[in-house]
Amino acid sequence: MEDKDLKTAAKTTDKNSGDPRIIAFVCNWCTYNGADLAGTSRMKYSDNVRVIKLPCTGRIDPLFIIEAFKKGAKGVLVSGCHPGDCHYTSGNYHSRRKYATFRDLLGYLGVDLNRVEFSWISASEGNKWVAVINEFTDKIKSLSGNSTDIFTKK
Amino acid sequence: MARIGVFVCWCGSNIAGTVDVEKLREEAAKIPGVVSASDYKYMCSDPGQNSLRNVIKEQKLTGVVLAACSPHMHENTFRKAAVKEGLNPYFVEIANIREQVSWVHEDKERATAKAVDLMKMMVEKVKRDRPVEDVKVPLNKKALVIGGGISGIQAALDIANGGVEVILVEKEPSIGGRMIQLDETFPTLDCSSCIMTPKMVEVNQHPNIKLYTYSEVEDISGYIGNFKVKIKKKARSVVEKDCTGCGECWNACPMHKNVKSEFNLNLSERTAIYVPFPQAVPLIPVLDRSVCLHFKKGGKCQKCYDACGPKCINFDLQDEIIEETVGAIVASTGYDLMDTSMYGEYGYGKYKDVISGLQFERLLSASGPTEGVIKRPSDGKTPQTIVFVQCVGSRDPEKGVPYCSKVCCMYTAKHAKLFAHKVHGSQSYVFYIDIRSTSKGYEEFVRGTMEQDGAIYLRGRVSKIYEDGGKLIVKGADTLSGNQVEIAADMVVLATGVIPKKGSDKLAQMLGISYDKYGFYTESHPKLRPAESSTAGIFLAGMAQGPRDIPESVVSGSAAASKILGLFSKNEYEVEGTIANVNEATCVACFYCRRVCAYNAISKKEIKDRSGKVVKVVASVNPGLCTGCGACVNACFSKSIDVKGFMDDQIYAEIKALAI
Amino acid sequence: MAKTKTDEKLQKIAKDLLESKEISLLIGYAGGSNPGRMRPFFITKPEETEKLSFGKYAVQDLAVFLKKPEVKKFGKIGIVVKGCDEKAVNALIQEFQISRDDVKIIGVECNGVIRQNLADKGETKVSESTVYDKCLICEEHTPVLYDFIVESEEPELAVSGNVKPYADIEKLEAMSAVEKNAFWAKEFDKCIKCYACRQACPLCYCSRCIVEKNMPQWIDTNSEETGNAQWNLIRAYHLSGRCIGCGECERACPVNIPLMLINEKMARDVYKLFGYKSGKDIDAKPVFGVFAESDFNDFIK
Repeated sequence: MEDKDLKTAAKTTDKNSGDPRIIAFVCNWCTYNGADLAGTSRMKYSDNVRVIKLPCTGRIDPLFIIEAFKKGAKGVLVSGCHPGDCHYTSGNYHSRRKYATFRDLLGYLGVDLNRVEFSWISASEGNKWVAVINEFTDKIKSLSGNSTDIFTKK
Repeated sequence: MARIGVFVCWCGSNIAGTVDVEKLREEAAKIPGVVSASDYKYMCSDPGQNSLRNVIKEQKLTGVVLAACSPHMHENTFRKAAVKEGLNPYFVEIANIREQVSWVHEDKERATAKAVDLMKMMVEKVKRDRPVEDVKVPLNKKALVIGGGISGIQAALDIANGGVEVILVEKEPSIGGRMIQLDETFPTLDCSSCIMTPKMVEVNQHPNIKLYTYSEVEDISGYIGNFKVKIKKKARSVVEKDCTGCGECWNACPMHKNVKSEFNLNLSERTAIYVPFPQAVPLIPVLDRSVCLHFKKGGKCQKCYDACGPKCINFDLQDEIIEETVGAIVASTGYDLMDTSMYGEYGYGKYKDVISGLQFERLLSASGPTEGVIKRPSDGKTPQTIVFVQCVGSRDPEKGVPYCSKVCCMYTAKHAKLFAHKVHGSQSYVFYIDIRSTSKGYEEFVRGTMEQDGAIYLRGRVSKIYEDGGKLIVKGADTLSGNQVEIAADMVVLATGVIPKKGSDKLAQMLGISYDKYGFYTESHPKLRPAESSTAGIFLAGMAQGPRDIPESVVSGSAAASKILGLFSKNEYEVEGTIANVNEATCVACFYCRRVCAYNAISKKEIKDRSGKVVKVVASVNPGLCTGCGACVNACFSKSIDVKGFMDDQIYAEIKALAI
Repeated sequence: MAKTKTDEKLQKIAKDLLESKEISLLIGYAGGSNPGRMRPFFITKPEETEKLSFGKYAVQDLAVFLKKPEVKKFGKIGIVVKGCDEKAVNALIQEFQISRDDVKIIGVECNGVIRQNLADKGETKVSESTVYDKCLICEEHTPVLYDFIVESEEPELAVSGNVKPYADIEKLEAMSAVEKNAFWAKEFDKCIKCYACRQACPLCYCSRCIVEKNMPQWIDTNSEETGNAQWNLIRAYHLSGRCIGCGECERACPVNIPLMLINEKMARDVYKLFGYKSGKDIDAKPVFGVFAESDFNDFIK
């Protein structure tokens, strides 16, 4: 078993695992503004992340997460308004249920859940955005192998 | 073919200092579909915008990407510029390379690489942008106000005075709500009836207001600009147009003194045919069929009919359903008092002389059951000592509700003050947790009650109330002195917490507006949109939203009215066109979309063949209600619904643009 | 085959319903091509009810037919269902795919059905070791909803506890991500993308499956590792909180992918997370159509 682990790891170690691509799906109203605030406050954070803006976490479909992995992302972040703060009242609540379930499924099928992160970041939490991105990037960099290869192996 | 223009903004050195703008421009030019790539120091400046417009015109661009500051800064600026050249405003996309690149990263090469990625994403997105037309919804310029308390009355009058027709629906036989039950109002002590009655009369006489009392909203469908409302006008058994309000009927009713008066909170009786109070508007009685002898004894009694001069009593009248179409709605359903039976130690309902604050108002009122003389319900004697207990139910997460009912501190101070004025030499005690008196003149008012009117304020809770020798013994703690206190009182008045009006949750479900866990209606935004509900075209006013006092209720009524007048100042309501759209060919009508829609924007649509037979049922999006949040897309298994501006294929293309 | 009391009762109910025209189609079971099999049986005339039967070989979930347009066109339909299959009817009602008024539910008490591979080899005894795993965790020996009920003649299934249903779920849960990945990669590698799992599922009723959607093509159609993983993931995700555990997908799979290990795992997780079990109550709101403010939040930063 250990042998197999090593083999898998060796086979799938990404050529740029030291510089992993991270895709963040964020809502327009809270997290996107939080990320903007980090900018206007001139905070510095890891540049591995690429942000895709959606109106609401309610629009952030688990399909996006799969697709991001398929396209080579080594980590995916989903972030939106805190519970109770959703611009559209309940989008984040509905999605939270889906994410909790989808995450369980991903984990069960062998995706390392360290690679999928969820956060609530408000428009005033520029510092939280910075912390979440930095910590997530460090975590992804520290992971060996590529446990998302269930979607990417060719 | 797509003809995309990419414009790279330097933002002085804000972007150009960290991002290699020339490299970015070069990379842009390589992307298929990009016919123009340029960079400029300040794209948002006049020359910047002009160059944007020139390129759109000269290159016949079909889409524009600006690699610049956050879309939340200048998206609108650039959209407006694009519109001037005939481009659909939604064909403008922004790659945020300032707030999310140059200001947060330092390594120029890596920051540039990131900026290139973001720019590529937006080029792929803009290639797939569809023209979005803002939706125009026609407006029926008529408003419905539900609830005829002070906030509803204020809203109705303001709207009507603005020249718009209003339908005011009130459940009770008379408008006036809770305010008309009050005696004098804090902190100015003006008589509630004196300031309220003229407003009630004005409502009744206003040419723009159609008043339905003793009526309830049965059903509401539709959306902003076009709500179909069904109003149930309950059978009054009195022909309203003929009634003069002379009172012969209720004087003749043999059910004299048999039924507890709801208006006087059970402190007096009423007849079967009755007006709730003498200043009722409209002054037309209601026959309560549940107690009327005519209905209970097989039609024998008709004394009211015999007494009635114009013969306007009609025992055969039936409930009527009235249908109206309105463009906007105000929900001002008001409040009830909590049931305090969980505080067995206070003895409410057990001891006749333990009453609620609202009952005390009726005892104070000159038109009340005691004609304004404070008398004990048990023996009619005037009390010399009254204990007031605040926060009964409020601020008690264990037994009651965690929130503050807001008005109790002030009305208790008012009660103690009026008691001192009416019964000389009397003494009142007030048990309180904190005194909340934050509006204009409030703190001075409470101080006055303590200092001039001699009310003794005790900070602490009451632990027990029991009867002993005609007195109510009140045991409690004075936490400031650390002593247990015991007061022999003649009467106890409980400042009972307020809760939303019974049935307001049902109405909310009918309206499709949201409410919090207590049942208070929630605002679209608690700070910035306090008059709007979560559903377009439905506004909120008064205590239905949460505890508030009279001035605040009036303000909220006016706010709702001004929102409606503003809305009606145009002939059409414009909705952003970035809304959901159903693929009817693949929709299987599982309606998960409808379940997750917070705006009631999805309904069932039947597709019929030529003979009128239903061949398919699908989901349908109401453009007047949809906000484009996209929750429905996430809920749809087959992706048979999509939301413009953030279409599935656009997101897919954005992710693809990031492929490594 | 001798007619049992169950069969007689079933036939009478079916006959009455067809004669009175309360239904125009009845979906039930009849004896199959070999003694260890029962086949779906469609009847439109009262006189055809003679062959109607039920027993320990009645494996298939007939609710799958309710989603078919060629069945729907009959309007009022009678259906013979075991407790597990009946939950699919409930879920279809909850999701507006059929109307409660259009279906007459003829529930049959069931004490377990014999695994088809064993029945084919001549197994005749209903026991812990011969029935499907779903039978060992069955909570609906009597269907939760029915218009008619037919009692069982089989003795109650004796459960010693020695046979652990879906035992591999715990084993998988205990594995590392790499091990799980390897396990499923091997299983999904077998997938030939025939979509029999989807066709056999009573709750896969979309007229256009997500995998058939292009522009964008979220789920790759290629029948190799990556496409297979995506398909199996999305199928399981779309059934999470909805699957009623009839096991038809797994039974239909020609390459024996243990799909119920995923379905059952997700059913357990959804129950753990949201206290919801699919198909138990037609008045309940489906788990992904509602939320609670107090929903599990620990995984979110």
